[in-house]
Amino acid sequence: MAQQNVVKKESEMAQEGFEPRILGFFCHWCCYAAADSAGVSRYQYPPNVRVIRVMCTGRIDARFILEAFRCGADGVFTGG
Amino acid sequence: MCTMYCPRPVVDTYNERLDITRAPHIDYAQAIPSSYYIDAKACLRVNYETCNLCAQTCTAGAIDFSQQPKELELKVGAVVLTPGFGRVDDEVLERFGYGRFPDVLTAFEFERLTCASGPTEGHIVRPSDNQVPKKIAFLQCIGSRDETCGNGYCSSVCCMYAVKEASVAKEHEPDLDISIFFMDVRTMGKGFDEARKRAQEKYGINVIRARVPRVDQVDGKLALTWTTGDGEHHSDLFDMVVLSVGLESPEDAETIARVTDIELNHYNFCRTSVDSPLLSSRGGVLVAGAFQGPKDIPESVTQASGAAAIASELLADARNSQTVTVTYPDEDKALEEEEPRIGVFVCHCGVNIAGVVDVKAVRDYAGTLPGVVLYEDTLYSCSQDALKSIAEKIKENRLNRVVISACSPRTHEPLFQETLRSIGLNPALVEMANIRDQCAWVHAQEPDKATEKAKDLVRMAVAKARLLTPLDQPTVDVTPSALVIGGGAAGMSAALSIADQGYKVVLVERSKELGGNLKRLKWTLDGQDASKVLKDMIKKVKAHKNIQVFTGSQVESVSGYVGNFTSALSRQGKTEMINHGVIVLATGGREYKPKGYAYGDSTRIVTQLELEEKLARGRGFLRNARNVVMIQCVGSRGDDMQHCSRLCCIQAVKNALKLKELKPELNIYIFYRDMRTYGFYEDLYREARKQGVKFIRYTLDRKPEVIKQSRGIKVRAFDELIGEDLEIPASLVVLSAGIAPGENEELSKIIKAPLTSEGFFLEAHAKLRPVEVAVDGVYLCGLAHGPKSLEESVAQAKAAAAKATIPLAKGKVAVAPIVSKVDQDKCIGCGICESLCPFNAIVLEKVGKRKKAKTITASCKGCGVCASHCPTIAISMGGFTDEAIMAQIHAFSPEGCEEA
Amino acid sequence: MAETCRQFLADCGINPERLALEWASAAEAPRFVELITGYVNSIKEKGEIGSAEGEADSETIKRRLAAAVKAAEARKPRIALGNLAKRLHKEGDFSKEAIEKGVSSKILPALRAERIKEELLMLLAQGPMDMKELSKALWADEGEIEKPLSQLVKKGVIEEKDGKYSLADK
Repeated sequence: MAQQNVVKKESEMAQEGFEPRILGFFCHWCCYAAADSAGVSRYQYPPNVRVIRVMCTGRIDARFILEAFRCGADGVFTGG
Repeated sequence: MCTMYCPRPVVDTYNERLDITRAPHIDYAQAIPSSYYIDAKACLRVNYETCNLCAQTCTAGAIDFSQQPKELELKVGAVVLTPGFGRVDDEVLERFGYGRFPDVLTAFEFERLTCASGPTEGHIVRPSDNQVPKKIAFLQCIGSRDETCGNGYCSSVCCMYAVKEASVAKEHEPDLDISIFFMDVRTMGKGFDEARKRAQEKYGINVIRARVPRVDQVDGKLALTWTTGDGEHHSDLFDMVVLSVGLESPEDAETIARVTDIELNHYNFCRTSVDSPLLSSRGGVLVAGAFQGPKDIPESVTQASGAAAIASELLADARNSQTVTVTYPDEDKALEEEEPRIGVFVCHCGVNIAGVVDVKAVRDYAGTLPGVVLYEDTLYSCSQDALKSIAEKIKENRLNRVVISACSPRTHEPLFQETLRSIGLNPALVEMANIRDQCAWVHAQEPDKATEKAKDLVRMAVAKARLLTPLDQPTVDVTPSALVIGGGAAGMSAALSIADQGYKVVLVERSKELGGNLKRLKWTLDGQDASKVLKDMIKKVKAHKNIQVFTGSQVESVSGYVGNFTSALSRQGKTEMINHGVIVLATGGREYKPKGYAYGDSTRIVTQLELEEKLARGRGFLRNARNVVMIQCVGSRGDDMQHCSRLCCIQAVKNALKLKELKPELNIYIFYRDMRTYGFYEDLYREARKQGVKFIRYTLDRKPEVIKQSRGIKVRAFDELIGEDLEIPASLVVLSAGIAPGENEELSKIIKAPLTSEGFFLEAHAKLRPVEVAVDGVYLCGLAHGPKSLEESVAQAKAAAAKATIPLAKGKVAVAPIVSKVDQDKCIGCGICESLCPFNAIVLEKVGKRKKAKTITASCKGCGVCASHCPTIAISMGGFTDEAIMAQIHAFSPEGCEEA
Repeated sequence: MAETCRQFLADCGINPERLALEWASAAEAPRFVELITGYVNSIKEKGEIGSAEGEADSETIKRRLAAAVKAAEARKPRIALGNLAKRLHKEGDFSKEAIEKGVSSKILPALRAERIKEELLMLLAQGPMDMKELSKALWADEGEIEKPLSQLVKKGVIEEKDGKYSLADK
């Protein structure tokens, strides 16, 4: 039991230190606007996302997402 | 800053007094204008000449206490009154425990509680103990349908908002037990009944038809007692009670009336009539919104556009008399074509950015990026002098690409684009990195990481800037005329308004004469002679020099796009082509043809419209009549069609009263499910009850039966109150047949305007764009949009006319340059883009022997769904090319990412 | 599109949950914050790309994604994607089941075939390999590799010698 706890704690610590790099594709009219509005309201959220603005999520080509992962993204967040 | 430093707390009235703010504040994040204002009543500087802290701390110097009130005199051609609605007196609310028991809230307060940006961030808690309540009751008709408080009318919106608030609450707290106490469930708006059904079925919200007379507090809980339709008494305890407060006339209605010299109705709302719902009693003074009568957002927005149309009619001669034209220098094409010379301006935005992000570090970092020849920081990039200095620096350094690292392109890109244009650069050559709204503001506690992110965003913006290309600013000329499809009340009203504003109209009517459903009406809902209203309208249409009427005609095909449509009209086998800039859909609807109820078996079983037609011919058929039975919701609300037809309840009551007037000794029975006599029509309902019309509720599973016998007709129905079946021998049965959509399918295909599941045309946005269709240049009004009264149709027709004249008045349609472009050499003509485009902005055309796609730039919105689905990658998007996005992705990686 | 990417990512040995598709309207800042925070945390839990359960190692991922991007550029899978979108649009059926089924039956096989072909070339560019090695590196049955391999051999792009394949000298 005790040992398991230790193991778990270690992995948790590893995760805490890890800062993922995430690429966001945000729709100009929706998610990008919501993100702006979050700023105006001074809501706080983790600083891991870098945003590419598109006019609509329909613009997002499968190639963009695959390329993002290839370029080292740990995650891709598309927001409509 | 001003809010932060102000020492004076004030109650936050925007949040219904549930929160505290400071004298300088902004009501909510999306407020327009999005600037802070000072509550003069609370401000220490204004009232006591002390403090002045905010003015000193405002780094932009935007607070000036030396300003004095000024009186302005304006010469105007029309006045539009839109003061909105007032609040029901607290005295009325106190009867239901408001003010005495902390857990009795108004629905306005509850709305703030459910709002994620409200005082509790969307957590629903009881004010008394900050605990999540388990059981909530909504009480309807507080300050509405209540003569004891002087408000005999129905507020029209509370049933739906209660259902909405209850649904939202259930989404937040799925374990909530919510009951709504209705007298009648009045969710008659387009799509509202569906939402109400969902609330009951999906969220398990209890609908109880009873009026709760009072609220008591027992052991910290709220006790309600009520009586249901079957005569049974009930009582229960609740943790929270929400009062669905009605809409009053504005508090200063009388002052407004005095100042503008208009008449009010007996409830202190602006007096209008059914055939001209937006005109006050004084010429040139118009009204829109809740001041005209309680109403929901779509109707308010519609009326507002309608009032704008009437104002434009009045001002038609003055149009374009005070316009100013801006001129720009020619573009320096040679400079634009040179290798990218990028300038990066990093904005402090006072302390907004610089307080978190290390602006100087970001600036210096920008200097290391390829292509950057100038990198500077600015205090407020958007201020007048900063813009001037940026313009000078662009010129001095012969920059041909600019990156502004500041706030959001959504709000500020046009400003910087304008700066570029003013010095002869294409506006598409500027790119913004949003290091304020999406960085400094949201990572205030992590300055290092925010700076890191700002650098990344600048790197990505620079990468994109390198690939920016000048884009055309295309404009398309507009044919200054309209095609109005449908010659009923809505179509004629729209045509008249457009014509009065000075544009040509072609009005197409399928049948042989104008008039539509109004032809069959005997009286309007406010008792006017319907045929007179119609005759006046037809006379005006026929006499108008700008209107050309095509009766017996149909629209065969429509091609083109906003500003440049070409349509084929067929009349008596002949086809005529017309060119026009816009389209108004006013194709109407029709009375539902009843199924069952022995309809068609006897001349004494008729619909409401047939009754009116009978009455128009004379009252002889009433001679031997004793009992008249009306049955509501025939065809509507799940009987056959799903929607509520909105006006049958009012029509039935209106006709019942007319029958009573003609023959007072008649017994009239109205079988209904919910009486939906909304707004001031509640007066008619009350009057009918006073005159002895009997109203008996039925449910869909126990519908009344109409039995045709050898001698006469019998109606058998269950009466909830006595718990038994009633049998009524009827001299006349009147079926309140609903409103069915017209045959819209074909036109829907021709214009590519989508339909609702019920077959009405679908508006672009239910609340904000109620008279526009998703296809640019196409507008919508009348029964084609959904069931509504004459009054509402006329207002909506005016609104459609207002929207339709916008492109006509502009004369040109400007196209945002972010449109798609097809490389026809790569295109294989597969047609995938054409079928996916939500705006019909791509067509296939014949080029040589093969079909090729082509973008209609005037219709394209730049969504890019065509580009991402093109098999041969033949489509590129202006400002958002594959190359630019790929460059951003590569720049996303700090080490850079080579192309594979 | 999102479903295509998800299935294709899984095919490439990447946890498909690394790709999120969410909706937040302009008025829903709090929802946006909730979504983005939740998402960042979920990625933190998964760890660096290539480290979550069932994922390929980072070097394999790099190579495979390079092949995948090429596959997503190829005409065949793009036509499959376009046609599916067109069909769903026409039928008005955007249910999860319909999309999943459409993608797995129509698009994924086309993408996978292209990916295998491209990756094969990339692998062989590093040196000769035999069928077994290829199968292991590509996460594909020998049967599946045979077809593209024989086509490439036919075209003269690849040579076979003693059961080992290598790029043909130009």
